[in-house]
Amino acid sequence: MTAFLKLLQALPTTLLITIISISIGFVIATIVALLRIYKVSVLTQIASAYVTFIRGTPMLMHLFLIYFGLPPIIDAIAKKFQLGFTSTSIPLIVFVCFSFSLTAGGYMSEVIRAGILAINRGQIEAAYSLGMTTAQALRRIVFPQALAVSLPNLSNSFIGIMHGTTLAFTLSITEILGQANIVASTNWKFFEAFIAAALLFWGITIFVEKLTAVLEKRINKYNRGGVA
Amino acid sequence: MITITNITKSFGNTEVLKGIDLKVEKGDVVVILGPSGSGKTTLLRCINYLEKPNDGEISIGEFTMNCKHPNKQGILTLRKKTAMVFQNYNLFKHKTVIENVMEGLMIVQKKSKEVARQISLQMLEKVGLANKLDAFPSQLSGGQQQRVGIARALALNPEVILFDEPTSALDPELVGEVLEVIRNIAMEGITMIVVTHEMGFAREVSNHVVFMDAGVVVEEGKPHEIFGSPREERTKQFLKRITSNHIA
Ligand SMILES: Nc1ncnc2c1ncn2[C@@H]1O[C@H](COP(=O)(O)OP(=O)(O)OP(=O)(O)O)[C@@H](O)[C@H]1O
Ligand SMILES: [Mg+2]
Repeated sequence: MTAFLKLLQALPTTLLITIISISIGFVIATIVALLRIYKVSVLTQIASAYVTFIRGTPMLMHLFLIYFGLPPIIDAIAKKFQLGFTSTSIPLIVFVCFSFSLTAGGYMSEVIRAGILAINRGQIEAAYSLGMTTAQALRRIVFPQALAVSLPNLSNSFIGIMHGTTLAFTLSITEILGQANIVASTNWKFFEAFIAAALLFWGITIFVEKLTAVLEKRINKYNRGGVA
Repeated sequence: MITITNITKSFGNTEVLKGIDLKVEKGDVVVILGPSGSGKTTLLRCINYLEKPNDGEISIGEFTMNCKHPNKQGILTLRKKTAMVFQNYNLFKHKTVIENVMEGLMIVQKKSKEVARQISLQMLEKVGLANKLDAFPSQLSGGQQQRVGIARALALNPEVILFDEPTSALDPELVGEVLEVIRNIAMEGITMIVVTHEMGFAREVSNHVVFMDAGVVVEEGKPHEIFGSPREERTKQFLKRITSNHIA
């Protein structure tokens, strides 16, 4: 029980990494999905390459690539433009969030792309026929419907990334798994500590699933019909 | 007045519109007839610029669009001056009846919410749906959905409303209510171009009939001319076939 309370101290870190990564990832994913749907020459190819790379390599690899690859680049740029700081002054968690945002962006872009493609062409044509610009039609008509379609998969992405944040443990960030390890190493009750961590993850996951179900019900009330 | 000059459109190698000319006076109800695949839908979609014509000119009032060199602003202007009623309604699925009608008023015409609501209410009363304001399209019959589609088009007060077979997706018993609404707004003097296979309706409400086949206008004239004494063999054949179908 005390182990569980200690684990709760790490909960904010896990949630912070997850929420930041999902939010930034969502923005990346939307841009990438649009680039791939509205073929924009070279940008589309870059977007496609990004998606296959992210999906084709493990999440831990992204983390290591960013962790070991980015600091030298930042240092070089900082030196060139004499910005007067080095990569060591950037908190570790920033690299973690950046890396996981890229991971989330790659996966979610496919979810969002599928969601947009699932919307009947007639919907955007109706918007155009009223005189809307593409941006207006996307924002007002296509995105809200695509989001509703994608909600279950986006919820899966959220859960996937949240579980993935345990990889940050390898860079000695004390998220839930890291904390469990610390707790265990002080009292040598490894099994209890990890069971507690597992229950915590399970609990959050169930919460996210319930939340999704509620949202789905609200967003999709227009799909079911029947009750006016 | 609307003038369409020498519109051509190809999909790949197939030329679907082979130089269409059409003149529509203010307040006209023009009916376009023609066999399946003759290019009627494509023509309407070109006028609304949902399809990009290869060449030709579309003028509405003072505004002229050269289809060979379209620009974004021109396309938007053209679309604002025209409205489309679709065969399968295409109502915004995630919006209620009144929101469907308000959308264009608020987003395109930048009207305030209150004003948009006021106009939308009037339009929905006109199509007999004032009691369904907060229903979603999925909760309506086909006929009701199409009437919302008409209200949505009407609300923007366009120079012309384009109807593409507005009743052909409907169950027979729902056709009447939609035709009734179209008939009423025709009598208000709203300019419209209607593609339809409802011959009785066409004859009754139109004041100009265009017969198309294989991407060209074969014959056009007053309804009594086209229906009563068509000159072209293809028109005769078509009318004969379609009336015999109706009796069968
Ligand atoms: N997006 C498209 N791509 C390729 N060919 C198309 C496309 N849209 C229409 N066509 C072709 O263009 C021709 C004219 O089609 P259109 O839909 O305009 O005919 P229509 O007169 O409206 O027929 P119907 O009475 O069946 O609705 C058809 O041969 C059709 O196959
Ligand atoms: Mg058609």
